[in-house]
Amino acid sequence: MFEFDVVIGLEVHVQLKTRSKIFCCCPTEFNSPVNTNICPVCCGYPGVLPVFNEKALDLGTRVGLALNCKINNRIYFERKNYFYPDLPKGYQISQYKRPLGEEGNLLLNSGKKIGITRVHLEEDAGKSIHKQDYSLVDLNRTGTPLLEIVSEPDISNPQEAFDYLTQLKLILQYIDASDCDMEKGFLRCDANISLKRKGETKLGTRVELKNMNSFKGVRDGLMHEVKRQKKVLEQGQKIAQETRLWDENKCITVVMRTKEEACDYRYFPEPDLLDFCISKERIEKEKKNVCELPLVKKERFLKDYKLPEKEIDIIISNRVLADFFESSCNEYDDIKKMTGFFLGPFLEQINLLGTIEAIKISPGNFAKIVRYFAQGKINNLSAKKVLSSAIATDKDIDELIASRGLVQVSGEDELFAFIKEAIDGNPKAVSEYKGGKQQAIMFLVGCVMKKTKGKANPKVVKEMLQKALCQ
Amino acid sequence: MTEKSIVEYISKLTRINVSPHQIDSLNRQLSKIIGYIEKLNELDVENVEPMRTATLQRDVFRPDQPKLSMLKDDILNNAPQREGDYFKVPKIIE
Amino acid sequence: MKALSLTGLEIAQSIKKGEIAEDEVFSAFNQNIKDKNKKLNSFVDVYDQPLKSCATSSLKGVPIAVKDNICIKGKKITCASKILSNHIAVYDATVITKLKEAGLNIAGTANMDEFAFGSSTETSCYGVVRNPWNKDKVAGGSSGGSAASVGCRQVPLALGSDTGGSIRQPASLCGVVGFKPTYGRVSRYGLIAFGSSLDQIGPFSTNIIDCAHLLNVICGYDSKDSTSAKVETDDFTKALATIKKGTKVGIAKEYFAKGLNSEVKNAVEGVISVLKKKGACIVEISLPHTEYAVATYYIIASSEASANLQRFDGVRYGLREKRPNLIDMYSDTRKEGFGAEAKRRIFLGAHSLSSGYYDAYFLRALKVRRLIKEDFDKVFNEVDIILTPTSPTAAFNIGEKSEDPISMYLSDVYTISANLAGLPAVSLPCGFTKDNLPIGVQFIAKAFDESSLVSASFTYQQETNFHKRIPNV
Repeated sequence: MFEFDVVIGLEVHVQLKTRSKIFCCCPTEFNSPVNTNICPVCCGYPGVLPVFNEKALDLGTRVGLALNCKINNRIYFERKNYFYPDLPKGYQISQYKRPLGEEGNLLLNSGKKIGITRVHLEEDAGKSIHKQDYSLVDLNRTGTPLLEIVSEPDISNPQEAFDYLTQLKLILQYIDASDCDMEKGFLRCDANISLKRKGETKLGTRVELKNMNSFKGVRDGLMHEVKRQKKVLEQGQKIAQETRLWDENKCITVVMRTKEEACDYRYFPEPDLLDFCISKERIEKEKKNVCELPLVKKERFLKDYKLPEKEIDIIISNRVLADFFESSCNEYDDIKKMTGFFLGPFLEQINLLGTIEAIKISPGNFAKIVRYFAQGKINNLSAKKVLSSAIATDKDIDELIASRGLVQVSGEDELFAFIKEAIDGNPKAVSEYKGGKQQAIMFLVGCVMKKTKGKANPKVVKEMLQKALCQ
Repeated sequence: MTEKSIVEYISKLTRINVSPHQIDSLNRQLSKIIGYIEKLNELDVENVEPMRTATLQRDVFRPDQPKLSMLKDDILNNAPQREGDYFKVPKIIE
Repeated sequence: MKALSLTGLEIAQSIKKGEIAEDEVFSAFNQNIKDKNKKLNSFVDVYDQPLKSCATSSLKGVPIAVKDNICIKGKKITCASKILSNHIAVYDATVITKLKEAGLNIAGTANMDEFAFGSSTETSCYGVVRNPWNKDKVAGGSSGGSAASVGCRQVPLALGSDTGGSIRQPASLCGVVGFKPTYGRVSRYGLIAFGSSLDQIGPFSTNIIDCAHLLNVICGYDSKDSTSAKVETDDFTKALATIKKGTKVGIAKEYFAKGLNSEVKNAVEGVISVLKKKGACIVEISLPHTEYAVATYYIIASSEASANLQRFDGVRYGLREKRPNLIDMYSDTRKEGFGAEAKRRIFLGAHSLSSGYYDAYFLRALKVRRLIKEDFDKVFNEVDIILTPTSPTAAFNIGEKSEDPISMYLSDVYTISANLAGLPAVSLPCGFTKDNLPIGVQFIAKAFDESSLVSASFTYQQETNFHKRIPNV
């Protein structure tokens, strides 16, 4: 048996977050009724002409910079000719000879760098729905700006492909260039994979793999393809250069087209669009929009907050979340309390709300809740209550606590009457405790908490009860 | 590539069927035209920058402002075949 | 009616003065179009009602024909192709908006070569347009319908499009003024594309005065066309004046070489003498790459066209041949929908761009295009305008060249270079052959210097009467 090295390169298409399409004014809204966001331009009507959306260039440049690409100072578009019902003009306006960015790289969590061959701008096609005997075409998506991101064949196993995609998605979300939702088709991924004998320098024959609908699908499809190619090579056969489709249900890959049928796209410069210069000003502006990238933030948080890596990974998994955490810590520096409340009740609330966007509370007010809790002004239960009222509204915290009477009661004078009432009203529990059953006191604590509507400081209550029952 | 297969290849590429009896005449005309345009081979263009367009203008942009065309019905009314608001096409066999 | 014998400007002035009513003008021309159309086949669609507009301009109320490749909302626009038969435009081309805003009345759509592929209007799916001076001759092309309709005074004005001479060559063959502005002067939005880097819309008229007024209406920056020039729009009527003494007129020897008919040559030399007499200074120049223009043009224009015509696939509009599977539907729709010349161009273009041939054909053509443009750049350091014949011959017989693509292509040999270089050019009537067929002269100027062309044309027309002759249809 031979040992093989796996060589993988990924081609990712992401929809850039613009409000209108790349070459016409139609909205890019997702989920609009069929064929609503269409106009003569994106429907490829006779006589129409494209005009380039500047925001798409900004976002594309931003991604290029975030992936450490060399940004070409002058670019142009080309036409890629092929026929498909969801491609109205019969050509896709894309970039070929002079892409927006080249020679970049992406750093993985593991510390390995994956080369980025190129990033280029192009327009999306529409959607075809295949029925038994015919197909239906919806052109709402046609003309949405896409950025194609092509990696070098630096990825050495399916898990690494998964990590690459995870990191890429995180970066694109951090710099606000794309929502990257794979289920909505905002991010799509094709893979090239080949095997070579260990130690061999010459690359093996490459297979293009398509139709993976999730990061997991990419990993599973590649894992299957590794096995398949290994088997073929071990039997002394050759790998055919072809495009294969991943069938998620059957967990197999099937041939889509062979090399002989490869397309001849007849690329040539798009005469309806002129050259575009990527000015120094544009690059400077977009450099500013490339914020601190996730892995850099992670390093800093590890150093500054000295938290376990697992916890940091959760905090940095979303830029808004990470920024919120950081601002809150600036307001109140008991990092341990802060982290506990952030990863616990705060994330719970976000899950209930369903989206981070719904958060209205300021980091200052959030820090105040944590501080009051840490200082004993409010107890755990009250803190959660305050958070749930304030998270989507950013109401004044002190006012909330006062109006709901949530201030923790710790004063022995205030609590004395409640303690007496609990002892007098529960002789059974009292005698059990006195008889040596320690847990019985918790029942009495519960009674006091109930009577005080949860405001009492349970620690103080317990101490007072113990004291009273000893007498 | 033989010239007959050029016509067949381009016919597939451009999705234009050519009747068998037309292949020869189309091929004859094309070879004549190609023969004529090969006149350009007389020139040395090694260091000439290709001219992609007849204007020096560049950097023509549109602001990112969405606007509905409201032409949905007009556009769908022109469709040779539709189902609801979808364009309908025959079965796709690659 | 009197209006039928007036120029465009005169009609507008008479309407303004209240001498004739706009509606009467429209219906008189409507009847005139219908009468003559039986003989010439210059119109595809004749409108019985004007598209109402309350706007005004110096051409308010003047009827105009529009080539069948410029979109008019709600109207049938077909490029004279079966593949677009009965296609209804869903929007107005920018020039149509401008015509409406200037109060011109669109009288109908003019016949043309299918998708503007041709120099004789023989490739139209509606049949050939006949030359108003001789019904056995072609009207030229591809804007043959526009040229013939103005030539026989069916309308005083028309719009055409010019990719390699499609305005100037038929203008020359029909004895009218045809003007191709600088690439980018007139918005191409709504012009059904042939060769996107070469196409320009331009006017037809009987005289340069009308032409200047119509240029004022249609020129100007348009944000819907990225190639539209962001330049000040001149008032071209200000250029309706005699040329300055010492204006340098270049005569390129390459344009008077083999293949030029002697009657045409003599007529064009007559123009030189007239301009000389008016103080022009004649300079001999050379445009050494002229002989490569036709080949360069056919590669570039056909390549662009092959892509531009990919959209005619039977999915969203136009013809569809019903077939059970998609590829057969595509391939038979396009087989039935495109005529022979369209197919030749698509095949040539796709071949020039295809894998293995791109560098040898398309890329090489783009490079030669640069050489041709540089020839002009050099020459325009020395001269103000260039004077050439518009077409090597007067109108040829219907059918004479239709079986020989190359000889047809060569009838554009003098007009193509201006498109490759993006320059403005005009063709004017400058004489007649002994068989009474019109001959045209062409002036070419540097980019955005349409005014020099207007002045030279005005100067010549002040001195001559060729443009006043009207054929007997």
